[in-house]
Amino acid sequence: MGFVTATGRACINFLTATGRLVIFAGVAVSHIVRPPFYSRLVVRQIIEIGFYSLPVVGLTAIFTGMVLALQSYTGFARFNAESAVATVVVLSITRELAPVLAGLMIAGRIGAAMAAEIGTMRVTEQIDALSTLSTNPYKYLVAPRLVAGVVMLPCCVLVADIIGVFGGYLVSVYKLGFNANMYIKNTVQFLEFIDVFSGLVKAAVFGFLISLMGCYHGYYSKGGAQGVGSATTNAVVSASVLILGCNYLITEAFFSR
Amino acid sequence: MTKVPKKIVIRELKNSFGSKQVLSGLNLDVFEGESLVIIGASGTGKSVLMKNIVGILRPNSGSIKIDGEECVNVTNNVREKISRKLGMLFQGAALFDSLRLWENVAFGLISLKISGREEARLKAIDHLKKVGLSETDADRYPSEISAGAQKRVGLARAIATNPEILFFDEPTTGIDPIMGEIVDGLIVSSVRSLGATALTITHDMDSARRIGDRIAMLYGGKIVWIGKTEEIDSSRDGFIQQFINGQVDGPMAGLITENSSV
Ligand SMILES: Nc1ncnc2c1ncn2[C@@H]1O[C@H](COP(=O)(O)OP(=O)(O)OP(=O)(O)O)[C@@H](O)[C@H]1O
Ligand SMILES: [Mg+2]
Repeated sequence: MGFVTATGRACINFLTATGRLVIFAGVAVSHIVRPPFYSRLVVRQIIEIGFYSLPVVGLTAIFTGMVLALQSYTGFARFNAESAVATVVVLSITRELAPVLAGLMIAGRIGAAMAAEIGTMRVTEQIDALSTLSTNPYKYLVAPRLVAGVVMLPCCVLVADIIGVFGGYLVSVYKLGFNANMYIKNTVQFLEFIDVFSGLVKAAVFGFLISLMGCYHGYYSKGGAQGVGSATTNAVVSASVLILGCNYLITEAFFSR
Repeated sequence: MTKVPKKIVIRELKNSFGSKQVLSGLNLDVFEGESLVIIGASGTGKSVLMKNIVGILRPNSGSIKIDGEECVNVTNNVREKISRKLGMLFQGAALFDSLRLWENVAFGLISLKISGREEARLKAIDHLKKVGLSETDADRYPSEISAGAQKRVGLARAIATNPEILFFDEPTTGIDPIMGEIVDGLIVSSVRSLGATALTITHDMDSARRIGDRIAMLYGGKIVWIGKTEEIDSSRDGFIQQFINGQVDGPMAGLITENSSV
């Protein structure tokens, strides 16, 4: 009996939370398209998400590209396929690794920051104060972050694509002794538009999810510092899991024939 | 005296958190242009009452009318229209910590498009001066000033847009007596010269006497006493006697044990 009750309660809680999240997302998106627009806040978030994330995204990308070249070289050497290294690097980076790793890094950086900031505003009644000053918190706090996330993640991933491929180039040319021109030629030769494009679509979705999770958990946080702390954790964990799940779904939508 | 219209009418207002009933069928009328002070022991739900009126909390049942218009369970558009008439000082000031002090005070002016940014800044500095802060303070952030000063900035923010109804949650708590008197004066002048209606929560009976036209006492989720400020000292009501004299024994004696067991 206890087991049934517990299971039922868990299911109901899950459905309630999902419903609340969907409504939250719907309301927030509806505020993106309705005036007034807070362009000043969007710009601030764009700088926060895009510009300040570049170092961490760049470092992630360059090491990933480097290790990818090294790994595929040593692996492919077993069946004399070393020439495929350039192609493997560029396809893995653009399709998968740049969007997923950049997404996860930015989830840790931005999702946490958003949840902490909005959560603190909630527990110190700043969100209540917004509504007494005729300002809709969805429009003022959530919408600019969603817009900035959707716009800036693809930009970051594009940068990560370039840096990642460059990392592979560095290792291949300076360590593994590839010919530089050949490597570049191989990189470009088999690369298709859809490889990069699918990665950018993923990035836009991940950007939405990161901002949504940060805002949602912050918005509903309660109970002082501890509540803000768990909101931050939940924002990062849920954004990361959603990123990995959606990554599979988007990949399937693009490439399974 | 001609009949003064009612600005706020509250009927059978109930609000509970989980099993804890905070407001249990509260009735209250606030007349236009009056200054009503709400007193009551800590934790009796004064702040909850105020948040219900301004629409931050939703009551479980009951009705709140502002200018005859129902504000419980209404659409967001109606809610937004009503909230334009209101200004509130929060118990914890609730300043936006990412914004400078003048931006805090100017927030309503800008969001309601009453002024442009530059003009709003000048008006904000004016208001800051009224509550005893200087022009150089205007560019500082809330975390850089004392709690008492934050409270005064919160007050400036609440009155900056000249709202029709003002809500002050403990405006003088944490403020020294001299500044407290200035704050009281500011509340009185907002009501007298601007014709606003004001609701003030306070624990300070001196301040209550200075700013209140009428005083209401909240206990057990209801208004247990309401009357003119002059009448409060002659009132023989047990609750009032106990509260203004700060006695432990009296009709509210149960409260002390009830709270300490929580
Ligand atoms: N968000 C909330 N969740 C749960 N309980 C709450 C919440 N807000 C208030 N309460 C409960 O409502 C009661 C009244 O709180 P309220 O803040 O209105 O007291 P108050 O009269 O303003 O006291 P004080 O003079 O100390 O400010 C408290 O006992 C508290 O337990
Ligand atoms: Mg209170």
